[in-house]
Amino acid sequence: MKPATVRRTDLRYRIGLNLRAVVGRSYPRIVGANREPSWIFFEALLPLLGIAAYVFIYQSFGARSFAAAAGNTTAQAVISANTNALIASVVLGGTMVAFWLNVLWSMASQLYWEKEIGNLQLYMMAPMNRMALLGGMAVGGMVMTSMRAVSTLVAGILVFGVIFQVADPLTLLAVFFAALIALYGLGMMFASLYLLWGREAWNLSALMEEPIFFSSGFYFPVGGLFRVPGWGPIIAIIGSFVPATFGLDALRQLTLGSTAFGGQLWIFDVKTELYILVFMAVLFLILARYSLRYLETLAKREGKLTSRHQ
Amino acid sequence: MNTFWRTFKVAAWLGWEMDSNWTEPWLFMVYSVVKPVAGAFILVLMYTVFAFIGNRPDPAAFSYMYVGNSFFIFVGSVLFGTFQVIQSDREWYQTIRYVYISPISYYVYIVGRAVSKVGVAAFAVAITLAFGVAFLGVQIHLTVDAVPLFAASMLLGLAVLLAIGICLGGISFLTAKHTHGLAEGIPGLFYVFCGVLFPLSILPSWGQAIGKAIPLTYWFDITRRLLAPTLGVDSTLAGYSDLTIMALLVVSSVAFFGLSLLIFKTGEYFARKAGKIDMTTSY
Amino acid sequence: MPYAVETRDLTRIFAGKKKRRIRRKRATGEGEDHLGPVTALDQVSIQIRDGELFGMLGPNGAGKTTLIKILATLLLPTSGQAFVAGHDVAKDPFPIRQRINMVSGGETSGYGLLTARENVWMFSQFYGVPSKVSKGRIDELMHTFGLWDKRDAKVRMLSTGQRQKMNMIRGFVTDPDILFLDEPTLGLDVNAARVIRDYITNWVRSQKSKTVLLTTHYMAEADQMCDRIAIIDNGKILACDTPENLKRMIRTETTFRLEVDTIRDIASFSSMEGVKNFSHTDDISKNRTHLTFILEDEGPVAEILSTITSQGKKVHSLQKSEPTLEDVFISMVGRGFE
Ligand SMILES: Nc1ncnc2c1ncn2[C@@H]1O[C@H](COP(=O)(O)OP(=O)(O)OP(=O)(O)O)[C@@H](O)[C@H]1O
Ligand SMILES: [Mg+2]
Repeated sequence: MKPATVRRTDLRYRIGLNLRAVVGRSYPRIVGANREPSWIFFEALLPLLGIAAYVFIYQSFGARSFAAAAGNTTAQAVISANTNALIASVVLGGTMVAFWLNVLWSMASQLYWEKEIGNLQLYMMAPMNRMALLGGMAVGGMVMTSMRAVSTLVAGILVFGVIFQVADPLTLLAVFFAALIALYGLGMMFASLYLLWGREAWNLSALMEEPIFFSSGFYFPVGGLFRVPGWGPIIAIIGSFVPATFGLDALRQLTLGSTAFGGQLWIFDVKTELYILVFMAVLFLILARYSLRYLETLAKREGKLTSRHQ
Repeated sequence: MNTFWRTFKVAAWLGWEMDSNWTEPWLFMVYSVVKPVAGAFILVLMYTVFAFIGNRPDPAAFSYMYVGNSFFIFVGSVLFGTFQVIQSDREWYQTIRYVYISPISYYVYIVGRAVSKVGVAAFAVAITLAFGVAFLGVQIHLTVDAVPLFAASMLLGLAVLLAIGICLGGISFLTAKHTHGLAEGIPGLFYVFCGVLFPLSILPSWGQAIGKAIPLTYWFDITRRLLAPTLGVDSTLAGYSDLTIMALLVVSSVAFFGLSLLIFKTGEYFARKAGKIDMTTSY
Repeated sequence: MPYAVETRDLTRIFAGKKKRRIRRKRATGEGEDHLGPVTALDQVSIQIRDGELFGMLGPNGAGKTTLIKILATLLLPTSGQAFVAGHDVAKDPFPIRQRINMVSGGETSGYGLLTARENVWMFSQFYGVPSKVSKGRIDELMHTFGLWDKRDAKVRMLSTGQRQKMNMIRGFVTDPDILFLDEPTLGLDVNAARVIRDYITNWVRSQKSKTVLLTTHYMAEADQMCDRIAIIDNGKILACDTPENLKRMIRTETTFRLEVDTIRDIASFSSMEGVKNFSHTDDISKNRTHLTFILEDEGPVAEILSTITSQGKKVHSLQKSEPTLEDVFISMVGRGFE
């Protein structure tokens, strides 16, 4: 082995160090998921069923409506178009659900979990930037989850015959990635907070499933919630803090055309929503960095970086 | 028998403590209700949106869906409550080896752990239904002479659910930490094929065949028949009388109990053989 | 030239556990029953020179791990200062982290689904070690530590000792300048422990400015390996010197070893005049008790013997001996071992 190395601190070195850290931390997620073959079945295929249920609801509503409008071909055409758009909304929501669940269970609760299995202290002792650690988890999580997201999308198109019309693929990609980064940024922020809340964190994640599916409009255009008189807009505005809300609204506009649902169910136009998403992404990342730094100091002061293994 | 009862009691106590003591009791109650009610609201909004964009309002289909979904809360919690025992004891608390080597029936232990989930679920179902009737115009008419049948069907339905949960537990002896895939996926299977939210007739014929092979389908049907007899949405199971359905439920719950024992023992056997009883699989 | 490690009046107080209404099943296992604040380190001042192999000896709960955690930038001091490689641990952790690594006995780091090699590689990435360099070092270390045939085994399949070897490799793979080892040979068999001890010693001796701070409960290990040793108890440093000098410190005292029939009533020894300290271990298989006395002079020997024989016990051997590190330890912190 070489004699004691001279330690560098220049920018190039730091970038290299943190990139390596990102790769290092994402590695277990990417290979780990593939290494356990049951994973594909449990994490990518089984959840499709839940989404299928929502698809069938609209199919069944649509079929009853269609039958009731017998004889009126224009009305029937409208019903068919609406039903397709609603089902497409569900499928898009299903892809986003995959990421949201990953954010909740593999980002937000992850640092707490790492602490319990004794890895956190080793991470906190290493020279890499803490954001690189969270970044690695996020990248790994995204890769791991995109399999499920893609299978949802494919099933939507092949099995349920959903028709997407993409006119502007570049904006679509921009919106998708902005939403994704904002989502994982939010997850990073939660990660530090969860470290503080400990065991209650698990329940918090559980609590952010259905209520958020609801308030962010994962399975229906969220504009519908805005139009419920009274409490609807309040819930929807609260739900908008989860980037999935604007992300889904923009994605639906971009894939169904802004005239779908008579153009009555969108919140803003796509551009505005994209700006909001970018803003959220930056904001959450910054907040994540500061809350992590704060939490790290707090934990170091109180001796809470390690729990089970002294 | 005595050991079984003791194991059951201790496990039930433990399950209740684990579920509830992370917070104040009132917060726990809110928490237990918020999730299922929010789940119901997703459906409400799906329906609202559907009607809003110019389609025909369809209160019967809505009631059908709402009642089915309310009872589905049992499915989610009982299944999750059973198979999650193995996963959380193994990966999270890492106590599985100590419980497992103690001279009790692990099978009974798991059933016991799930009991508190059943209780909490019953509470959530009641709240959800009451909410639907009070504010959303859901139609429920339970007649007095239907009550015994309703009680019997509830008992059988829960027994089937527990048995299915244990089957999953047996499988999760052998698999990595997939709590989420399982928690969403298996209930999803029943959500789709058991006529919970929409009539079976909307499924392709192979889907209907699957549905008819799962006892829960009959459970949902009889529950809905007894609670909301006036809907008249589904015709797939119309040919069966109430008593036929009850008989089917009895037979299938016995069959599933046997199956759960078999799968559980098999899973346990192979897990011991492969040294997987106390593995941890984080990544 | 700055010290590799230096602490000045370093104090660490853990706030008492808040009594939580919440009783988790897990929490009961942790069992910290004290509720008031604990002074884990009390005005500790030590200096470890560059290139030194420095040992820490102390009974359970003495504060060794706490000290290492502070030096490894995982814990902040309550008061006082600590410097590693010339940098303040509280103010300037980054350059420290580049230069250090830590291995604790019995730790369970890593991800069960990765292989031993992948796990170590992953941790090396957090130190920016290029993958090729890292893999080369891992292979070399795996050969050295006898883990080569387990290189591709999943971590969850490794035995306790194999895991510990993997952890050691994780510590060396980043080529740190200062390595903190908290009971590194915990759970290892005699052979593996020897290999690791030799490797550590050689690692420090054969390279310029490699420093190791090691804690252990094995006296012989400390005696044989360390350049200097600090004895710590209740958060205080009682002595800090080379093993030879430490032993010389109690040279004025006399050490006697006795082997007698198993004897229960030992309390009376501590009140005897001239007995500085003593320890006892029972040898159950032979039904005997080994006693070690640190005496101011040979005066009390007769009294000790008569006390034993008056209980009807036989004395099988009595021997005056050169002090070992263990005797130093007993003489200083013996009360913890009663
Ligand atoms: N996070 C913590 N919170 C509260 N008290 C702590 C914490 N960590 C350590 N202590 C207390 O500080 C004291 C010193 O502990 P430390 O772990 O440093 O001892 P040690 O010398 O490493 O002991 P051992 O030989 O058993 O490893 C003990 O009384 C311990 O209970
Ligand atoms: Mg220690």
